[in-house]
Amino acid sequence: MQYNVTVIGSGPGGYVAAIRCAQLGFKTAIIEKYDTLGGTCLNVGCIPSKALLDSSEHFINAKEHFKEHGIDIPAPKVNIKQMIKRKEDVVKSNVDGIAFLMKKNKIDVLKGTGSFIDKNTIKVTSSDGKETQVTTDKVIIATGSKPTPLPFAPFDKKRIISSTEALTLTEIPSHLIVIGGGVIGMELGSVYARLGSKVTVVEFLDSLIPTMDGTMGKELQKVAKKMGMDIYLGHKVTAVENKGKEVVLKAEAKDGKVLELKGDYCLVSIGRKPYTDGLGLDKVGIETVKGQIPVDDHLKTNVDNIYAIGDVVRGAMLAHKAEEEGVFVAEQMAGQKPHINYLLIPGVVYTWPEVASVGYTEEQLKNQGRAYKTGTFPYKALGRARASMDTDGLVKILADKQTDEILGVHIVGARAADMIAAGVTAMEFRASAEDVARMSHAHPTYMEAVKEACLAATANRPLHI
Amino acid sequence: MAIQIKVPTVGESISEVTIANWLKKDGDVVKLDEVIAELESDKATFELTAQSDGVLKILKQQGTTVPIGETICEIEPGAAQAPQPPKAPATASTPQPQKTESKVSGGIKEMKVPAVGESITEVTISTWLKKEGDFVKLDEVIAEVESDKATFELPAEATGILHIVAKEKETLPIGGLICKIEITGESPVTEPQEKKETAVSASSGGSDKSYAAGHPSPAAAKILSEKGIPANQVQGNGVGGRITKEDAVKAQPSTTKPAETKAQPSQAAPVISSGGSRNIRKEKMTSLRKTIAKRLVSVKNETAMLTTFNEVDMKPIMDMRSKYKDQFKEKYGVGLGFMSFFTKAVCAALKDFPAVNASVEGDEIVYHDYCDISIAVSTPRGLVVPVIRNAELLSFNQIEGEVVRLATKGRDGKLSIEEMTGGTFSITNGGVFGSMLSTPILNPPQSAILGMHNIVERPVVKNGEIVVRPIMYLALSYDHRIVDGRESVSFLVRVKEMLEDPGRLILGV
Repeated sequence: MQYNVTVIGSGPGGYVAAIRCAQLGFKTAIIEKYDTLGGTCLNVGCIPSKALLDSSEHFINAKEHFKEHGIDIPAPKVNIKQMIKRKEDVVKSNVDGIAFLMKKNKIDVLKGTGSFIDKNTIKVTSSDGKETQVTTDKVIIATGSKPTPLPFAPFDKKRIISSTEALTLTEIPSHLIVIGGGVIGMELGSVYARLGSKVTVVEFLDSLIPTMDGTMGKELQKVAKKMGMDIYLGHKVTAVENKGKEVVLKAEAKDGKVLELKGDYCLVSIGRKPYTDGLGLDKVGIETVKGQIPVDDHLKTNVDNIYAIGDVVRGAMLAHKAEEEGVFVAEQMAGQKPHINYLLIPGVVYTWPEVASVGYTEEQLKNQGRAYKTGTFPYKALGRARASMDTDGLVKILADKQTDEILGVHIVGARAADMIAAGVTAMEFRASAEDVARMSHAHPTYMEAVKEACLAATANRPLHI
Repeated sequence: MAIQIKVPTVGESISEVTIANWLKKDGDVVKLDEVIAELESDKATFELTAQSDGVLKILKQQGTTVPIGETICEIEPGAAQAPQPPKAPATASTPQPQKTESKVSGGIKEMKVPAVGESITEVTISTWLKKEGDFVKLDEVIAEVESDKATFELPAEATGILHIVAKEKETLPIGGLICKIEITGESPVTEPQEKKETAVSASSGGSDKSYAAGHPSPAAAKILSEKGIPANQVQGNGVGGRITKEDAVKAQPSTTKPAETKAQPSQAAPVISSGGSRNIRKEKMTSLRKTIAKRLVSVKNETAMLTTFNEVDMKPIMDMRSKYKDQFKEKYGVGLGFMSFFTKAVCAALKDFPAVNASVEGDEIVYHDYCDISIAVSTPRGLVVPVIRNAELLSFNQIEGEVVRLATKGRDGKLSIEEMTGGTFSITNGGVFGSMLSTPILNPPQSAILGMHNIVERPVVKNGEIVVRPIMYLALSYDHRIVDGRESVSFLVRVKEMLEDPGRLILGV
């Protein structure tokens, strides 16, 4: 078959790129090696983890909060099989949705592993070994990423697991050890903590979610401790061993003290690495750098007709970043001149409470030597948060000292992930803290905390604290 | 945020309207739907209503013709509650230093095109020396403005942040809004005024233009990139001067860029192409060029112009010049050129024939008892004619000095209006470009112009013998309405005689 554009990988970057290509009139194909479309995000990432997060949240509410709300029920029990099944249903309906979208946009879905023969020819090898070839004018590589294993303790998928296995456990671990206090570790750690597991997090750096604003990590740590999680910061894991029924971890603190932990599962969530295996990049002369495919500002590789997006290229490994890049490349191919403001791609952690941020962190502003001011407002002082008893968290606004322009929005608290969109909007339009403070925010809502934090940033004049 | 009122679409075939009548004055408070002006198209007259309550700011004067969609006035809604007292009484009643007057007006100083000369009705912004959002100091030069007569510098009328309204190459009527200066605290204003300022700026809140002025929204940024227009060339009409999607959609590449028009292939009549370029370029006329065009045509139409010729043997002057030019240069610091001889000769001849130095004013003839000689100087922007005042009183070196000074200023575009107005007679020298003979056009309201040409060695008969002499042809164009043939011809002969025998210049014979 002859296509204008062939997309390799059907994750959120790939399938969105394919839809936009089709919208722009390109004859488009998408290659996917797994049985279902949607990539990591839909199958073993964002969507299933959110499904479980919500289930665990319901459970914790039933177990701990109903009583206070005046709802008496017998002590609830977790049916992990049902919980996992519901998660699979959610995943299925989502991936079916993608299949429908491909059909609707007349995009050919080619099942199999895509591999370059030359820059215009791709071989697709299906799971039964059948090979087909497509020729294409342009290619978008969107093959995503895979969990990074520890060099001394590869995933055995039984006791030493990655996020993929953590989403399909058939029992609730009695003690889950999480290596890496980043986004994935904290999300899945909080799921199992709420379902009743003892959870211990071992992090190499000195704070949780270390890429985010320092205040967020500290606040999240407080909440995690409240939940009963043990957190060891500044610890370097030196050994992980599967002993059959249990897993033993050894880590070293900065002062040389050795920590030994025993658990039934060890979730390794130390990051993800770009995935390009079997793609045949050597056939077209693309060389990866630290696993990443190098691209220019137009996301074009060193080969003229080949583009790459999402986790395989530089930048944050986020589904919505990949989606923006998918649209960007499609439009670029059509001769349009789209923009992506990478600073304003929000980062989100789906723990409970959620963490979300956009723009610069306070640490970044300090490093830049930029004069800034800070405004914070705690959820505790928010009527809406008290009504739902979600009083953990705060909103932090960073604004330029001279111009009052908002430079960063950081939220830890209920609904943070949804609220951050308002921060993105404000920053895309370069709003000042006072601009947001002067906009009417409905009462009672969580968003009032953003308004109040903006008032605090403007001239330290919040109204409700 | 001021609401811009644009010329509405009034009919299918109508592309422009003329502002027949402003029913409201600049600065008047107007109400929503109130009729503020009468517009006239070639088909009908209709009324323009205010689209908001507020204070009217007129951008296009009565009588101007504007295309559909162009902004003709703005209404500043916020200001409606507090109509400002008329300016003149305000300054009269408060005896303050003049400078502070400009600092009031609600924290924003609007700079309008000043009246620069009697006959000047519009100016073109030639260059912005400061950028949008720059901090400017009072009296600091922020732009160069060009009228049909001169280029002049525009000093800031207040200290503060500059917000450009009229873009480069835009033509504005006298009184048109050029820019706004957001006054910042640095200016030395008196106590009560400062209070007023802060009060007003606080009430207007975030609507003032700011650091974000010129920042395109995500959609606007994409559109501008695709059009190839840098954001700094677009006037942002969003909050704080942000560039909205609509601004980007409407933005047009600056027309003066030849690159924009160059690419359009010619769609002219079928010509068998030899492979060479068939491109055409269109450029907007500068106001200087438009005025030159208008005036030259009107001179031809309104005067009875004709030309008389003669020739001058330049040998005596050339001999004299080669003999003394080094000494002259050493003593006066300027070279001894031909202009001083011609100017002196012309001044002497004008005394003898005053009609040549006169002009028509209605039913009267105005005679000048002095000789203000306009000399034509070719500049990159076009021809300009600075004036040597009272040339009859000046010595050779003073004339040469003036010629150099005015020509240099002319080439640099620095001539003031005063330096170019009021001449009584003109000299133009097409000879520098190699012209042998031409018929110059009058420089109104003057009645005559002398044309100099190149000097060529020609065979001439002197005392019955053919000799080679450096000859220049002279042309005198004159307005036959007030200058008779006898006067004009005699004038030119007189000039010739004095040039051929420079001793006459000294003796006055």
